[in-house]
Amino acid sequence: MISTVSRDAALIVTAAGLIVAAVALVRTRRAPLALALLLDFFTAAALLHLAGPPTWPALGAAALIIAIRQLASHALTAARGRRHG
Amino acid sequence: MSLADGFGEHNLEDVVNVLVQVVEAAGAAIIFVGAVIAFVRFLLVAFRREGMDPFAQIRLDLGRFLVLGLEFQLAADILRTAVAPSFTELAQLATVAAIRTALNFFLGLEIKEETKLVRANKAAVAPVAAAAPPTTGAAPPGTPAQPP
Repeated sequence: MISTVSRDAALIVTAAGLIVAAVALVRTRRAPLALALLLDFFTAAALLHLAGPPTWPALGAAALIIAIRQLASHALTAARGRRHG
Repeated sequence: MSLADGFGEHNLEDVVNVLVQVVEAAGAAIIFVGAVIAFVRFLLVAFRREGMDPFAQIRLDLGRFLVLGLEFQLAADILRTAVAPSFTELAQLATVAAIRTALNFFLGLEIKEETKLVRANKAAVAPVAAAAPPTTGAAPPGTPAQPP
C-alpha cells in the first residue's frame, strides 16, 4: 500500500523537478542552477521510491542518483570557486 | 507462563510492522510536502523576478525537509531490523540504511555550505543597500529646494 502511494508521489515529484528545472533554465539562463534544482527534486523522488519494503533496483537507482548528485555538486562548487577566484 | 508465550512473537511482529508503516509514511509525507512547498515557492519566485537569492533559500528549505524525512525513514529501518527474518532482507536493510545515512551526511554538508553562501550574500548586499541614497519619497523638512 505505502509503496504504491510513494511511487505515485515520486512520479509527481519527478515531474515537478522537470518543470522547475525547465522554468529555471528559461528564466535565469543558468544551467548549473537548473541542474542543481533538478537533482534536488530527483533526490526527493528517489527517497520516496525507497519508502516501503526495499528492492534491489530501487536501491540501485537511489544510489546512482545520489552519486550523480554528489559528482555534480562537487563540479558546480569547483566551478563557482574558479569563477570567484 | 512467560511474557513471550502470552504475547507471542507473531503479535510483536505485527506491532512492529504497523509501527514501521506509520513511521515510514510520516517520512515519505514530510519529503513529499517539502517538495510540493518548494515547487510552489519556486514558481512564485520565478515569475516575480526576485533575483537569485530566494532560489538558494528554497533549496535550503527543501534540503531540510529531505533530511527530516530521511531521519524518519532511518528510524523505520531500525525498527524493521527487529523483525527481518532472512539474511537477504537484512542485507537490503543494511544497504538502505547505508544509503540514507550517507545521503543524510552529504545533505547536511550541503545545507551548511549553502547557509554560509546565503549569509555571505546577505552580508554583501546589506552595506550596499544601506549606503544607497533613497530613490523615492519627498525631501525631508528643512531641505533647501534644488535649483532647476
